[in-house]
Amino acid sequence: MTTMEGLAHGLAVALQPGVLIYSLLGAVLGTLVGVLPGIGAMAAITLLLPITYYISSEAALVMLAAVYYGAQYGGAVASILLRLPGTPQSAVTTLDGYPMAQQGRAGVALFTAMISSFAGSMLGIVILVLLAGGLSQLATSFGAADYAAMMVLGLVAASTIGEGRLSKSLAMVVLGVILGCVGTDVNSGAQRFTFGQVQLLDGINLVALAMGLFGLAEIIGNIRKAEHDGPPARVSLRELVPTRDDLRRLVAPIARGTALGGFFGALPGTGSTISSFLSYALERRVARQPERFGKGAIEGVAGPEAANNSASITAFVPTLTLGIPGDPIMALMLGALVIHGIQPGPMMLEAHPDMFWGLVISFGIGNLFLLVLNLPLIGIWVAMLRIPFRWLYPAIIIFVCLGVYSVRGSTFDIVMVAGIGVIGYALTQAAFSPALLLLGFVLGPLIETNLRRALLISRGDPMIFLERPIACGFGIATVALLIYGFVKHRKHGLQEKRGS
Amino acid sequence: MRRDLYDLGWGVILALTGLAVAGYAWVSYDMGSLRRMGPGFFPVTLGLLLAGLGALIAIPAMGRPGQRRPFAWPETIAVVTALLVFGLALDGLGVLLTTALTVLIASAVAPRRGLGWRLGLTIAVTALVWLVFVQGLNMSLPVWPGAWR
Amino acid sequence: MNHRQTRRAAVAAALLAGCALSSAAMAQDWPAGPVHIFVGFPAGSSPDTIARLVAEPLAEALGKPVVVENRPGAGGVIAVQQMLARGGDSFSININGPLTTAQRLIPDLGYDPATDIAPVGLIATSPLVLAVGADFPADDLAGFIDAAAEPEAISYGSVGEGSGAHLTAELFADAAGVQLFHIPFQSYAEVTTSILGGEIDSGFMAPSAALPQVEAGKMKMLGVTSAEPFAQVPDVPVIAGIAGLPDDFRAELWNAFIAPAATDPAVIERLNTELNTILADDKVRERLLAMGWQAQPGTPEDLAQRITDDTALWGGVIDTVQATQ
Repeated sequence: MTTMEGLAHGLAVALQPGVLIYSLLGAVLGTLVGVLPGIGAMAAITLLLPITYYISSEAALVMLAAVYYGAQYGGAVASILLRLPGTPQSAVTTLDGYPMAQQGRAGVALFTAMISSFAGSMLGIVILVLLAGGLSQLATSFGAADYAAMMVLGLVAASTIGEGRLSKSLAMVVLGVILGCVGTDVNSGAQRFTFGQVQLLDGINLVALAMGLFGLAEIIGNIRKAEHDGPPARVSLRELVPTRDDLRRLVAPIARGTALGGFFGALPGTGSTISSFLSYALERRVARQPERFGKGAIEGVAGPEAANNSASITAFVPTLTLGIPGDPIMALMLGALVIHGIQPGPMMLEAHPDMFWGLVISFGIGNLFLLVLNLPLIGIWVAMLRIPFRWLYPAIIIFVCLGVYSVRGSTFDIVMVAGIGVIGYALTQAAFSPALLLLGFVLGPLIETNLRRALLISRGDPMIFLERPIACGFGIATVALLIYGFVKHRKHGLQEKRGS
Repeated sequence: MRRDLYDLGWGVILALTGLAVAGYAWVSYDMGSLRRMGPGFFPVTLGLLLAGLGALIAIPAMGRPGQRRPFAWPETIAVVTALLVFGLALDGLGVLLTTALTVLIASAVAPRRGLGWRLGLTIAVTALVWLVFVQGLNMSLPVWPGAWR
Repeated sequence: MNHRQTRRAAVAAALLAGCALSSAAMAQDWPAGPVHIFVGFPAGSSPDTIARLVAEPLAEALGKPVVVENRPGAGGVIAVQQMLARGGDSFSININGPLTTAQRLIPDLGYDPATDIAPVGLIATSPLVLAVGADFPADDLAGFIDAAAEPEAISYGSVGEGSGAHLTAELFADAAGVQLFHIPFQSYAEVTTSILGGEIDSGFMAPSAALPQVEAGKMKMLGVTSAEPFAQVPDVPVIAGIAGLPDDFRAELWNAFIAPAATDPAVIERLNTELNTILADDKVRERLLAMGWQAQPGTPEDLAQRITDDTALWGGVIDTVQATQ
């Protein structure tokens, strides 16, 4: 079957009324659940899982996939309006999305996030269709050494996204990596920094960390401030729509973000996280006025949103064509396929082409549903900001608690949020970047396990990092980036001195 | 303000945290070899790195004027108490009573005083939780006191 | 088995156990409210799917809702702790780890599998297969053992230090008289990627994780750790008894239904009866097999024996591993 025949076949599958309706259902539920802070795709899919046993395998998968990216659309809403990211990817969206909302441009920020997500997904589908074969080889050509080198590059590149001193940015990254060490060490089974708490054996809960660092810190700082400022002025419909200038600015970041996401998404693991951080760092680097970033730069929302949505499309490549799921949600989808008697793997394209292509087409249809569904909702979300903050914040606290609790039913995690929130507030007051802490937390354990694994594989020979071309390439790029950053920093410093 | 107290304070805190992490890991975990790195290698290295970065933050801050940013103490205490109450009371009191209690505590530091609007808000949020989480999402939660031991 | 027989079995069990009549009466009315089953892994994982497969017909049989509660963490241990802490009609469907090896690997476990847990019944077992890349020089187990003659020449991937895959590999290496080089991963997906990429030589894996790669000609399966050939991979030879390995070599992972130790024996008997009825259903057996699990109905005593045996077996392997480190 050629690709064109496959696509035609897939279209026929995806357009069946029984499949369409579940795609719509998934998109609606995913958005609604994703808007609730901390309750992400995982919780929504768990909720729907029992239904999937009773419907056809196509409908089940299409619905779960729609929930998966629907939750991403919803997650952007909580991040932009309230600075409540539930995932590291949405944490990137808060960096410029939330300042935009505070400047009364919440509508534009939401519109940008949605249109970028949509464009990222659609272009991601194109990448998937054209390059599925190549992308599936990517996964097996990356070894432990390559992953370790790639993550280090990601961390170094992203360290530049924090404002201010490099030492403060690096300190946050390192602190994040240290927090990532908490829990059972994969390589030795040792329980590190758990202090006898079984609840900590799997590490600190990511949602608790993100909610505490961002959401709670913001609430504490805002209670008094928001009341002084009064509610944001009423915005007219025209202000919701981006200006022509805004739109023009979106094109390049979306294209760059999609490309980054498409590539990294095909690597099982953290493709989505690393690509959204890298996209943000890249936009900041190529911008003519990088100082606008962190203060409401529209490119800082567009690039990362396109990247993480394109990554979540290509993430299906290793899952479906190799049978290798990259994250728990992909593992869940794989499980749903198996329940229906379909074994994803190298034979999937030959054995179940209708399923494969039907799913690909349905991604497009689902994203179209999401766009149509979400654009009219922007007005409602923005109207929510007119509620006085004193009415809003106690409710947000409750939603944060329940969001964190939903992850694994642990009240211990809620207590953790309290502690993390205070630290997050104090760090924000001192102009430290919580986003970098979160990135270190996510990538740190991956760097450690892959580095140690690479040395096990090479039986202790560090040359493995130079001998493998991919690892070596990432290494050279990292060194180049560091030298560039240092030189630029010195130049900048000299100019400042001369100016004063 | 003669010194950048925020950076100075945080630099010292981070440096001490780094040293504590490195020390604890050095004592408690095996360092291993290059071939089979032990669980202690990373935490010790990172701890020392953080200590160094902390020093790099603190030392320049000594001779540099800093901004004074007010720290919202009452708000911090109220929000933290609210969360602790929610976390500790949930299993015993059930989600509805816990929510009501948490909202009352959290709203105590709102700039507008008075009990009337706070009671109204409490009822509204509790109803919302019942509607969204108990009825809508059917989340596995203790709803009433004594539902879970 | 119909309702009357179930009840009779429950009554008989209560009498046999020497319980008072009130206990039997209680078992007849039981359960008064919803029954909770704690699962130590996230929704969609295989323990979760197994629990849901059992929960639905169980709810029908008991006439009360059966709620599956996911409490993922610490390899299933959190779910056991939650079951014990919650009280009431709380049970758990769990894997072997928290009942046989957790007390050795986690210092602050908070419960003792020998005294705090009452077995209800085994649900299903799964062996592991020894899988290698397609270009591995040997095609059978004897060849694999020959290739591994030099200590640490052959590496294998597991799903973590102390995991079933790690302990099974060490048990195998010990029985075969070879020394394999252990490289821990986090999931079978990672192990698969690494074998396909040529970074590691082999892995003891779940049959369902290796099967798609084998069908595509990218991997080979050299042996299966169960006592008899496994229905999902019927052509793979049983490791026991070939290439000089002992005839009683057996290593299986399992899922079981457990209760807190204080549970009324009549309730346990009732649950065991219902569980075995569910496992006798062909549809349930087929669904289990599709996921790589073989249904294993049996008595609570069978499960108790299994726990004792495996605790001793894996305890011995852990001793060996810890001694060499």
